[in-house]
Amino acid sequence: MNATLTILLMALVTFLPRLAGFALAGARVSPFWLRFLHFVPISVFAVLIVLGLPGANGETGIRLLAAAAASVAIWRFGSLWFGILVGMGGFWLLRLL
Amino acid sequence: MAEFWRGWRAMVPLYVGVIPFGLAYAVSARSAGLGLLDTQLMSLAVFAGSAQFSAAGLFAVQAGWLALVLTTFVINVRHLLYSLTLSQRLRLSWPQRLLAAQFLTDEAFGVVIASGRTTLGFLLGAELSLYAVWNLSTLVGGLASSAVTDPQALGVDFIFPLTFLALLIPLLKRPLEIAVALFCGLATVLLVRVFNPGLIILVIGLGGSLLGAWLSRGRPDLSPGETS
Repeated sequence: MNATLTILLMALVTFLPRLAGFALAGARVSPFWLRFLHFVPISVFAVLIVLGLPGANGETGIRLLAAAAASVAIWRFGSLWFGILVGMGGFWLLRLL
Repeated sequence: MAEFWRGWRAMVPLYVGVIPFGLAYAVSARSAGLGLLDTQLMSLAVFAGSAQFSAAGLFAVQAGWLALVLTTFVINVRHLLYSLTLSQRLRLSWPQRLLAAQFLTDEAFGVVIASGRTTLGFLLGAELSLYAVWNLSTLVGGLASSAVTDPQALGVDFIFPLTFLALLIPLLKRPLEIAVALFCGLATVLLVRVFNPGLIILVIGLGGSLLGAWLSRGRPDLSPGETS
């Protein structure tokens, strides 16, 4: 199968789960499952962070330090872009040292 | 319209992370042998950063179409949880559901939840704001790919966990929420060598949410998207 067709199939299998939750709108959800949904972004984002942190270049140590600095910046100043800048800046700085 | 632009602007701080990520995706896809049009088509039609990155890796090793499609599905099935969460607060017609679903991403979901503004206008504004910048960065990266040989060497993949840190930290307001996030992080460290990433996201994402729901029984104040 050529790349274009493969990409269109990838689009389809991405779209269907995206739609499925909206398609279930109006379903009655018990308090337990409402609390479950509250924890969805917290759980999934925590996993995505840990999966992406080490990287493939053997720089886990400095990436952890830079991520810690970014966390403090985000928590203290509540600013998304500032946190990302502190993280990337810290990472490139630590690489030079 | 005001809500649409509010949503659009709420996504702008994340551009800092999205632009280099989009450039890096396009360079990876081009170096994996994909043409300019296919590289762009993936950003236009699939529109899912982490899945597109892993697809570029699979195209590079000439994996079969079934492996590509299945991996994409497993990585992206988490979006079902996002649309289910949003559907609890949004009443949408079917055309609106199709539109909101096509452009739904981690970032748009995160921005809507963090802002507490669950309106269709705000959601579409955030979604299309990301769509525009992601596709523009893909285009620029695809055209400039011959100039950059190895985006990994610059460490641009580090932006991915940073973006999710920026989305997660504002959601951690109670000790229980911090505990669930730590549990999921530790579980990921333990399972990362055993399962593939898509499966880990699904299993621990479900497990962490179940744990949080169970530990917060008797706490009716928690509902999806409630951040105060």
